[in-house]
Amino acid sequence: MSHGGSALTLRGLAKRFGDTVAVAGIDLDVPEGSFYGLLGPNGAGKTTTLSMAVGLLRPDAGQVKVLGVDMWADPVEAKRRLGALPDGVRLFDRLSGPELLAYTGLLRGMDPDTIDRRAAELLDVLDLTSAGRTLVVDYSAGMRKKIGLACALLHAPRLLVLDEPFEAVDPVSAALIRDILTRFVAGGGTVIFSSHVMEVVERLCSHVAILDRGVIRAEGTLDQVRGGRTLEETFVEVVGGRTATGEELSWL
Amino acid sequence: MAVTAGAGGRATAAGQAGGSPGPDRVRPVALRHFARLRLRITANGFRGRPYRVGLFVVGLLVGLFLSANGFLLFAVGAAVDRQTQLLIMALGGATLVVGSVLLPLVWFGIDDTLDPARFALLPISRGRLVCGLLVASALGVPAIAVLLATSGLLVPAARHGGPAGMAVQAIGVLLGLALCLAAGRAVTSALATVLRSRRARDLAWVVIALVAALVGPLQLLVVSAAAQADWDRVASVARVIGWTPLGAPYTVGLEMADGRPWAAAAKLAVTVVALAGLLWWWSRTLESAMTGATSAAPTRTRGAVGRATASLLPRALPWLRPTPGGAIVAREVRYLWRDAKRRSNMIMVVVIGLFLPVLMLGLGLTGGGTGAGPTVTVGRPDAATPLVVLLMMLFIGAFVASTLANQFGYDGTAYGTHLVVGVPGRVELRARAVAYSVYLLPLLLVVGAVVAVVRGSPTMLPAIWGVLLAAYGAGVAVNLVVSVVAAYPLPDTSNPFALGSGDAVAKSALALGALVLASAAAAPVAVTAAMLGRWSWLVLPVGAGYGLGLAALGVLVGGGLVDQRAPELLAAVTPGR
Repeated sequence: MSHGGSALTLRGLAKRFGDTVAVAGIDLDVPEGSFYGLLGPNGAGKTTTLSMAVGLLRPDAGQVKVLGVDMWADPVEAKRRLGALPDGVRLFDRLSGPELLAYTGLLRGMDPDTIDRRAAELLDVLDLTSAGRTLVVDYSAGMRKKIGLACALLHAPRLLVLDEPFEAVDPVSAALIRDILTRFVAGGGTVIFSSHVMEVVERLCSHVAILDRGVIRAEGTLDQVRGGRTLEETFVEVVGGRTATGEELSWL
Repeated sequence: MAVTAGAGGRATAAGQAGGSPGPDRVRPVALRHFARLRLRITANGFRGRPYRVGLFVVGLLVGLFLSANGFLLFAVGAAVDRQTQLLIMALGGATLVVGSVLLPLVWFGIDDTLDPARFALLPISRGRLVCGLLVASALGVPAIAVLLATSGLLVPAARHGGPAGMAVQAIGVLLGLALCLAAGRAVTSALATVLRSRRARDLAWVVIALVAALVGPLQLLVVSAAAQADWDRVASVARVIGWTPLGAPYTVGLEMADGRPWAAAAKLAVTVVALAGLLWWWSRTLESAMTGATSAAPTRTRGAVGRATASLLPRALPWLRPTPGGAIVAREVRYLWRDAKRRSNMIMVVVIGLFLPVLMLGLGLTGGGTGAGPTVTVGRPDAATPLVVLLMMLFIGAFVASTLANQFGYDGTAYGTHLVVGVPGRVELRARAVAYSVYLLPLLLVVGAVVAVVRGSPTMLPAIWGVLLAAYGAGVAVNLVVSVVAAYPLPDTSNPFALGSGDAVAKSALALGALVLASAAAAPVAVTAAMLGRWSWLVLPVGAGYGLGLAALGVLVGGGLVDQRAPELLAAVTPGR
């Protein structure tokens, strides 16, 4: 099985909702062992793209390959290699943290002893053990992201697809998540995540792609994309932002 | 990941209050703003979704058909004598009011186009909000159907009471509609608050037990009353009902026709007071709905956790294996208990499953062994009564299975977890059917035993159980497929009775269709059972096998559908589409 060192390959991926084109044909290669940041303003199509990549949303056209396996032709095999943390999708939040981990592990057909061992370890590392039997619905936003990440990591995938893993997360939890992801990449895994927080992407990522209005505007290694400037300057230029003149909103 | 299409309808609608003269002067929110907001949301919901327009049209047609029947019934009052007229108006009106309270609880759910929680941040007084929501709810299909049906009252009022009578009755019709709407909202809102807290659910079970226990004495009362069938006495009951809010708004025309305007005025006053009381009650419970009191009851926290897998699989179900299927059964069993929406659905099914058969037996419709009540006989008398009992069991079995009809809607976007993992469709559906059966099968067996005992014919028990199991299996099969092809999102509110905007009637029609189909599929078993006579015990193994076979077929067909269209299923149950 050869997949040319690409952990996630998107080819001509497209999706439209009614008259709105959400994703207009995307080609993307996420190299194995890379820490890949998918940047874009709100509504750029990040969530739509990642939803199609993990099998939540059927693309109108195009192909997704996870470590060489076609997601929409052989979903079972592709999903086995992949861990995902979707955004805007609820967890089964009437379960407690340990129950949710056990549920995810059993759904994946894992051995119960392995699940118990890894769940205890993940809960410990992510500082969720103290939550005990609290239902996930009563967790804070940061805790929810952490338990979601634990579910994605439980079966030790080689590729992690994370949608907005740092949104609404407090600095302490964010540092913890960053640390775990860095270790995951150092151990040979691949991470692709979406964000619009430049500092996080600049600090973590080896590769970056900028998505705007359903099209990739720039991609490559971090240094290639920013070309000597800060990432934020590059981003605003590529996306084309608007700056306030100081005249408007005077009544404020 | 939010699989949303295009711009949200609510955002557009929020612009309704626009055009304010300036930031400093604030105009009060007129009631028409609520009405326009509701219409705009409904219209936006149709945009680019032809199937929704179709559902709406179906709902509209059903509503029109029912309201035409109601109109004729009320209008007939113009041609019959006063006493019959009183009976029709008082009892018909009371049925409408009681129905508008009970139906949302057990079957229809309540239209939640304007979710009170959305207004929490706006500076609107609670009184105005309640009035606004009431006006908005009057624009739905059920409300319009009730209005059309009750406007039949204007015909006798005009004929016997002249223009003045008609005018007073018109006020009565409008007040009656407001009463129906306010009653339905107030009760669902209050009950939602009650059923939400984890302690209250235990209370709910106690209430159910009490109601079930009360049914016994009640049925004796009804049977003896019906046996005497004294129309004068019934009319006097109707006269009393006519003075309660249940019948008052519908009988004012009659009072005018009899030349008693003071009585008409008093009845209108009774209605207004009741309406005000209901609105006040509603506004009390609205507070908790607005502040989203879902998190009001804290969960059991802390405590020893132990092994993760052991904590998921309930100890009460030792036969569950640590497999994907076992995990889904365990999760669903816990969810039926922990999730307010599933729980209220389940409680209502239990109430109906116990209540209906006992009530019907009590009314003597099925001809009790030695009872003095009226006996319905079809064809050969010796075969007919068991047949009616078995047909009723057929209905109960199929009805109970309809809890599965929107099982994916209850999951909402959490179903995405199964997609990310890739759960095979057959494993998915089989596990869900097993989880529901953990609760429903014992219920059915108890219902069957109660019916056999109440009817005084324990020898019929195997046949009754056989028919129940066959009908339940057929219901599971039909509803598993329905749950995949006709899933719809439930709004993300704290009201477990809330249904999405607009097409509540059509969704109910669909559920009714599933019920009829399932009953038809199991009907041969019931008919055979009635004909077998003393060999009827054979029906137990045959019915159980038949039901199991059909359920397996449903898993097979539905599972294939899940595999084919899982992403579309997720999109269908994602709220806000």
